[in-house]
Amino acid sequence: MAVKGIKTKDKHIHGLAKLVGGQRAILYHKEDLVAYDCDGFTIHKHLPRAVVFPKNTEEVAKCVKYCATHNLPFLARGAGTGLSGGAVPLHNEVIISLVRMKNLISVDLENRRAVVEPGFVNLKLTNSIADRGYYYAPDPSSQYCCTIGGNVAENAGGAHCLKYGVTTNHILGLEVVLPDGEIIELGQNGIPDAPGYDLLGLMTGSEGTLGIVTKITVRILKNPEAKKTVLAYFDNVTDGSQAVSDIISAGIVPAALEMMDKTAIEGVEAAAFPVGHPKDIAAVLLIEVDGIAVGIDEQITQILDVCTARNVREVRAAKNEEERARWWANRKTGFGAMGAISPDYLVQDGVIPRSRLPEVLERIEQISEETGLRIANIFHAGDGNLHPLVLFDARIPGQTEKAIEAGSACLQACADVGGTITGEHGVGIEKREEMRFVFKDEEIIAQTNIREVFNPGNLLNAGKLFPTPGRCGEVKKEMKEALLAQ
Amino acid sequence: MVKQAEIKENPPCTTQKSLSNYLWKDHPDENKWADCTHCGMCLESCPTYELTGQEQHSPRGRVHLIKSVAEGKIAVNEQFMDPVYTCLDCRACTTACPANVDVGGLIEEARGQIRQSMPLTGAKGAVSKLFLNGIFPHQNRLNSLGGALKLYQKSGMQKVIRKSKLINVMPKHLVEMEAIMPKVHMPVKKKYKNESVIPAKGTPKGDVALLTGCVMDVMFSDINEATINVLTRNGSNVRIPQNQTCCGALHVHAGDRDSGRKLAKQNIKAFSDAEKIIVNAAGCGCMMKEYAELFREVEPEWHDRAVAFSEKVEDVSKYLYDTGYEKPKASINKRITYHDACHLAHGQNVREEPRDILLKIPGVEMVHMPNADRCCGSAGIYNITNPEMAGEVLESKMKNVPDDVDMISMGNPGCMLQMAMGVQKYGRNQKIVHTVQLLDWAYQKERAEEEENHGSEGN
Amino acid sequence: MLLAENLLEELKTIIPQERIKEKDRKSDPLGNSGKITVLPVTEEEISAVLAYANEQGKKIVIEGGGTKRGFGGVEEEGDILLSMAEFKGVVEHTAGDMTLTVKAGTTFNELQDFLLDYEQQISLDPPLREQATIGGIVSANESGPKRLGYGSSRDAVIGLRMIYPDGTIIRAGGKVVKNVAGYDMNKLFIGAMGTLGVITEVTVKLRPIAKYESLILLSFEEQDLEKIRAFSKELLDSSIEPVVCELLNPSLSKKLIGEEQYTLAVSFEDVESSVHYQEEFVKKMKPDGAKLKLLSGMDAQDFWRIFSAIAPNGNEEESFEEAAVKIGAVNLTIVDIIKESRQLSSSFSVSAEAHGGLGHGISSVYLKGESKELLKAITHLRKTAESLGGYAIVKHLPLALRKEIEVWGKKPAYFFLLEGIKKKIDPKRTLNPKRYVGGL
Repeated sequence: MAVKGIKTKDKHIHGLAKLVGGQRAILYHKEDLVAYDCDGFTIHKHLPRAVVFPKNTEEVAKCVKYCATHNLPFLARGAGTGLSGGAVPLHNEVIISLVRMKNLISVDLENRRAVVEPGFVNLKLTNSIADRGYYYAPDPSSQYCCTIGGNVAENAGGAHCLKYGVTTNHILGLEVVLPDGEIIELGQNGIPDAPGYDLLGLMTGSEGTLGIVTKITVRILKNPEAKKTVLAYFDNVTDGSQAVSDIISAGIVPAALEMMDKTAIEGVEAAAFPVGHPKDIAAVLLIEVDGIAVGIDEQITQILDVCTARNVREVRAAKNEEERARWWANRKTGFGAMGAISPDYLVQDGVIPRSRLPEVLERIEQISEETGLRIANIFHAGDGNLHPLVLFDARIPGQTEKAIEAGSACLQACADVGGTITGEHGVGIEKREEMRFVFKDEEIIAQTNIREVFNPGNLLNAGKLFPTPGRCGEVKKEMKEALLAQ
Repeated sequence: MVKQAEIKENPPCTTQKSLSNYLWKDHPDENKWADCTHCGMCLESCPTYELTGQEQHSPRGRVHLIKSVAEGKIAVNEQFMDPVYTCLDCRACTTACPANVDVGGLIEEARGQIRQSMPLTGAKGAVSKLFLNGIFPHQNRLNSLGGALKLYQKSGMQKVIRKSKLINVMPKHLVEMEAIMPKVHMPVKKKYKNESVIPAKGTPKGDVALLTGCVMDVMFSDINEATINVLTRNGSNVRIPQNQTCCGALHVHAGDRDSGRKLAKQNIKAFSDAEKIIVNAAGCGCMMKEYAELFREVEPEWHDRAVAFSEKVEDVSKYLYDTGYEKPKASINKRITYHDACHLAHGQNVREEPRDILLKIPGVEMVHMPNADRCCGSAGIYNITNPEMAGEVLESKMKNVPDDVDMISMGNPGCMLQMAMGVQKYGRNQKIVHTVQLLDWAYQKERAEEEENHGSEGN
Repeated sequence: MLLAENLLEELKTIIPQERIKEKDRKSDPLGNSGKITVLPVTEEEISAVLAYANEQGKKIVIEGGGTKRGFGGVEEEGDILLSMAEFKGVVEHTAGDMTLTVKAGTTFNELQDFLLDYEQQISLDPPLREQATIGGIVSANESGPKRLGYGSSRDAVIGLRMIYPDGTIIRAGGKVVKNVAGYDMNKLFIGAMGTLGVITEVTVKLRPIAKYESLILLSFEEQDLEKIRAFSKELLDSSIEPVVCELLNPSLSKKLIGEEQYTLAVSFEDVESSVHYQEEFVKKMKPDGAKLKLLSGMDAQDFWRIFSAIAPNGNEEESFEEAAVKIGAVNLTIVDIIKESRQLSSSFSVSAEAHGGLGHGISSVYLKGESKELLKAITHLRKTAESLGGYAIVKHLPLALRKEIEVWGKKPAYFFLLEGIKKKIDPKRTLNPKRYVGGL
């Protein structure tokens, strides 16, 4: 039974098109599919078999059931801004795009929660409730465009999670389509601590390998009475990172505590949102404190003192909201800004105990020297979440491989000091092998065992998150081949 | 940074020209997509992505496709054409992009390839041809069409026009309403045919040349007149070079880069003596600032002249803002909202200047329009070639227009037509005006009041 | 008897004799005990005991401070009671990192005392913190009134080390505050009541101890419940930042502050100027007729210390006639729950003390009375909670009564997933058998 307007012999395209309402909700031409061959992680590219655009949970469930019945690999995709390749169709998957499910279903300010569809864009939630004095706390840098569904899959963080926690701390309920098409509801009515193993917590951050989230109940917060942001320039990185530790040790919990090094500053200053950071500075700290206005001034004074004691060159508070917004735009577009000083970059996402910052930065510097690639550092210094950006040019043979090696070495450095390989970007395809830096085989098996409970056929987003046991050599090879094929 | 020489001598596999499926001259510029890191920051800025949710209809998706053709992964064909031509060329992505990727430029270059390999066919082709080759470059034909209604009837837009009572957009309406502004029926280029310079009133501050535009001068000659008025009023001698022609924006948007180049060269020559080229149509200004792009690969000997030309081009609002203008004394007691024309805000980064002009007019109450820099769907002749998408973009635009305003001001004729259509279609009652018209109106009113005062004093 | 002797002999081969005890009590009205108690001090010992039990088909009951003996389970005893009471102490604390790794048997108060020197704290306020161990707190996902400001155990824990029934040592999470490497396995074990593994080490994130704190107690007349709801709504919608907004029913209020009235506890932790500012804010908002009492600094801390001890404690005999019910509901419906708890004693012959958080949705009701009356009251509370879209679980009840009521409520629709997880990790049902939802 052919579907009107669909020009292919692939019967599954017709089969799927029927489930989502015809040709306007499915893509299958190669020229269209190319746009879906990668997400924000561009090193691995694979074409999907098709992309379907369901409008509601029932359509998602139907598509999932169809794929399960016909043994078609499939995966879910939001805005495709993930940085670890979680939405790349490694096995010619059918992509279930959730971007047309972008409604804000309800807002319940009294009880501080909102219900959204997975394709709803993160920042739009805050924008919809801002006039009534509320906001949604997790604020990944991509919040202008990333979807909350994707945030749940990746357990997204953001600049302000130092004080307010990451996505998992703000999810109250989920509606999930399991890999066999069954619809379940976790955290009914958004009430916490539902009896039973915490599947809500498990699902959050499972990178789309356990089920497809179709409805999300999130916690929303009241805007702080006041916010103040301080910018501090340091002539050496050690002073900057010491200042970070000192601020925390002084008993201040900043809403955000961000740092950029010299190379990163060069990037953001050359890009779309420059703010005039001095070129010769080694590190800039962006410190934000929020809360009750009368208490904030006291904390700001303390922060200024701490910075002064650590030989700050210049430190000042934002004059007004406009300046504050400019500083943040400069910081939040930091990754993309690297495009302005390098044709390609690879961003890593290690986390380290805050106190080990200086030595890890030193090690990264060494890695940069060893590989001959520049590495910019942008990071959430407050919670030790490091984003080394390895700058390279994919057009030069061998550079991509070198960049991958450098990135991996940075993660090893983080793991070596008791840290981890990813704080908010997820493992995806990119860091499958690096999982071994932090987990023993038994620990990885313990996790794949859980996946089997939800996703026994492994049709949903296979090949992500875990190294293939005993095949690590092959995975590396596969990765290399993929690169060379580009 | 990578040394350019190294790449050229030793082309790595990804850049081997032999792989590329761009088989015609004037290739899309590799350096433009090299900066794109596929981060996705552009997605939400894109009206067509907002409406379709499909990545091939998003800026980074289009860049990705354009790059994929160069890499030989896909061919230049109908399927590739669709996303490339569905782009509104509104440049909102350029503003959103952290790495300043010139998506608009890439789109135009890719369209050039498509036009060369797949000459236009079907209804879309006929419409495009009628406008691009049949009308816009030919001033006399435009004139003989005698105005907007006929032009649009010819183009199959009759139905829309009938519904939309385009008269709302006509400056004539303003004239009737306030009986202040002079009636103008003649294109200014024709009117001032024999005047080499329209002299400044008072002490001259400088000389400028005015681009009268093709559509502008026929359908909106009042705006040109208003532009001349405010320029001379504020001390500029205005010249109207008679050899000037259509800026070519619509041709380049449509992929007809050869025509674009032809028109560009004629304008470069026509304005060669000008110190400053003043434009009151955002789309034209933006195009003229980008002439050099047309000569990147083809006829490169024109490249430097194009660069020099572009440096002289300025939007009228920015020129007034930068060189100073008199604050009118008469009040216009209206509630006004401002719509950022894409090619002014995103294309030329002119946002504050026109707002400043409006705010300087006594009595004007500015009302904020959310997402003011969102495309209205006009996009050159996009509303004619892709009416369905243009309609949806317009619908989403109109939702943002505040209910309680008297006028919507903007700096681009294409937007004025589209917004007028929106006002009509969604049962609104705002008047559509060009920013300089309002300023001129205030000046006219001021003079009328002064004359009246003098009169009464005399009595 | 013979069986127990064999077991004893075999255990002696894997754990030193002095850390093995035979049961000395005749009966355990709360259940969840063991024929033989082992008190390991090393991870190897725990691992060996588990591997042995799993191999031999023996059942293990896990215990920390013993406060939760009456929480879940329908067996009086397992073969082995694995007591974590001796497995205690700080493993790692780097003040600058604001993280702490401790052994599971460390009591909550021991931890907070240790951290006091560094002006740091675990921002949790679980019940019975004097005896409750961190392992037990995490296994039951405990929280208290300060959940509004600081969250529950699941928000504080960043890493766990545990032993699977087959003796395998597994780590989840790590010692950094942000971590998305692999599944968030921590979440599976937090609140799992020890049915998936024995938690040996817990890593938590810390917060600085607030520079200043105070507590405002607002007591309202009986008929003023809607006033309380409206006041709370206004308070939570304002820009002040209370860490507690907890409603106490009159009997609990009487016990704690001598006012037999509905009392709203609102507390602040911040720098002193900010705390005072917020106190003033509340004072200005205070509805007519409400009595306001302000406790500052140590006085506030004393209040919370006493508050922590009101829950039934499995170590004390008087708890053999008590029940504790945890109710989850949509935030502002807490008012209805607390009102219902007030009315319980007029319908059933029980006494009921209750408190619930208007900003976090969790209430606790503590009941005392005859067995039958307790069961009736619990059933009534559950109905009330369910009619409001929430749930009720029984956190404490004598064993005999637990057998007569489903302490965890109905199985969820996705029970097959919970069962699947249990089967993967503990296929022989060695750990805390039948202690959790649906007999997991």
